[in-house]
Amino acid sequence: MRRVVDRLATFLLWAAAIGVLVLLAFFIGYIVYLGWHAISWHFLTSPPSEVDAGGGIGPEIYNSFYILVLTLIFTAPIAIAGGIYLQEYARPGWFTSTVQFCAESLATIPSIVMGLFGLIVFVNLLGWRFSAIGGALTLTLLNLPALMRVTQEALSSVPDSYREASMAIGATKWQTIRKVVLPSAIAQLTTGVVLIAGRIFGETAALVYTAGTSVSAGRSAYDLNPFHNAETLSVHLWYTHSESLVPDASAIGNGSALVLLAMVLLFNIAARVIGRTLSKRLTAT
Amino acid sequence: MLLGAQPKADRDINAKLMVTDLDVYYGTFQAIKRASLDVAENCVTALIGPSGCGKSTFIRALNRMHDLQPDVRVEGEVVLDGEDIYAPGVDPVAIRHRIGMVFQRPNPFPKSIFENVVYGPRTHGQGNRKKLQEIAERSLRHAALWDEVKDRLDKSALELSGGQQQRLCIARCLAVDPEVLLMDEPASALDPIATSKIEDLIGELKKDYTVVIVTHSMQQAARISDFTAFFLMGELIEKGETRAIFTQPKDKRTEDYITGRYG
Repeated sequence: MRRVVDRLATFLLWAAAIGVLVLLAFFIGYIVYLGWHAISWHFLTSPPSEVDAGGGIGPEIYNSFYILVLTLIFTAPIAIAGGIYLQEYARPGWFTSTVQFCAESLATIPSIVMGLFGLIVFVNLLGWRFSAIGGALTLTLLNLPALMRVTQEALSSVPDSYREASMAIGATKWQTIRKVVLPSAIAQLTTGVVLIAGRIFGETAALVYTAGTSVSAGRSAYDLNPFHNAETLSVHLWYTHSESLVPDASAIGNGSALVLLAMVLLFNIAARVIGRTLSKRLTAT
Repeated sequence: MLLGAQPKADRDINAKLMVTDLDVYYGTFQAIKRASLDVAENCVTALIGPSGCGKSTFIRALNRMHDLQPDVRVEGEVVLDGEDIYAPGVDPVAIRHRIGMVFQRPNPFPKSIFENVVYGPRTHGQGNRKKLQEIAERSLRHAALWDEVKDRLDKSALELSGGQQQRLCIARCLAVDPEVLLMDEPASALDPIATSKIEDLIGELKKDYTVVIVTHSMQQAARISDFTAFFLMGELIEKGETRAIFTQPKDKRTEDYITGRYG
């Protein structure tokens, strides 16, 4: 009887795993099937069209990366510094638990709410209108707690024996963190950052009301000014499917979905490769 | 009052470390109760006792390693060459520079052998490559590891065997030129051959350093130490010359432990 239950449990767990795999394969297959007709060099590099058929997604791809880079520039220093503080310095007490509680609360705020907050603060109150920087700052608020968590987890995976060894030969706390703890944690930390970058790349709801749904107020659609409109790929995907007037909206939406999927997949693969190479290089010298 | 009631007349002994009325608390639990011990210079002092008796807690108080844990409180005096290391204004980092520590489990950094050895000198500001190479060779020779690793200094320290890793950790400690070496059961995770190498090494090291070693093995204490202190349930029960402790213990509890009646 116990044997039967054991086999049954094994089978159910296996089936669940296979189920997830099949579901994912189905989604990817469906998106590829719908989207690959739309993909062409023209589609990937041209600006979008407002009325006629034949628009592309070039500026949207550019904006997605632009906002991603801005967001990481804002998020990474604060989140990593905060994570180091909480993991290495903070002693249990009201201050630490308050910070921890705030971070956790921030993490549970739905992205659409964060988007409306961005609309009120960056777009209206500060008068920036829809802008890349407003979008990036909204995404910063959204991803700060996650990146802080990632930092804490990467640091906590470093064995205490390394810290003890370093302190026991007269290194200071900061030397220990910089020369022993961070190098040992960097692989996992990088993996985490790249995974979060994938999430930022795919974020939509928080950007619709902050970075806007058109590509640029400037002269060029590929635009470095952070105060210009910056519709990203994922926002474009939502926009073409819900509000666009162009006759080939659904083809463009399908193509955008495929490109977005490919990009996010690339981030995930990159995360693994980078993590593995870094940890090899830093530990096996 | 020096450790060992009747030190041999031909041996000139100075107290390098003088511990007076040391109390250590973990939260409200008192792990060390009023322990006093003088550690003789250029000698090996062994701390023995059953598991949980406080010997590891005691040795970690000698270079302020307890500072790293939030809930630990240390009271009493630990005087190194006339200076109380717990006095206000004393920098624990400077103290650990003079009193190095080797741990129970070998804990090399995930770096190359060379980088492990020169870690200490580097953190203390030595950047000269040639100097660092000299220090590395000297420390590794001193730790009896040089011949085994001299051709692969740039290989990962994690590729070494457990015994080699432990000698590497000792070399890493020696590289900062400490005056006192604390060793917390340095051989307990090693096989007998690696253990005997470490023991030989300790015999060599006491010529240049003052060594305090925690061990759960009474045979080891008897083989390598000049002085022995016996701990039981947080109290320092008896201390003295190793031979005296092992042949004519004064306290009944020491005798019971040595003859194998507990733990």
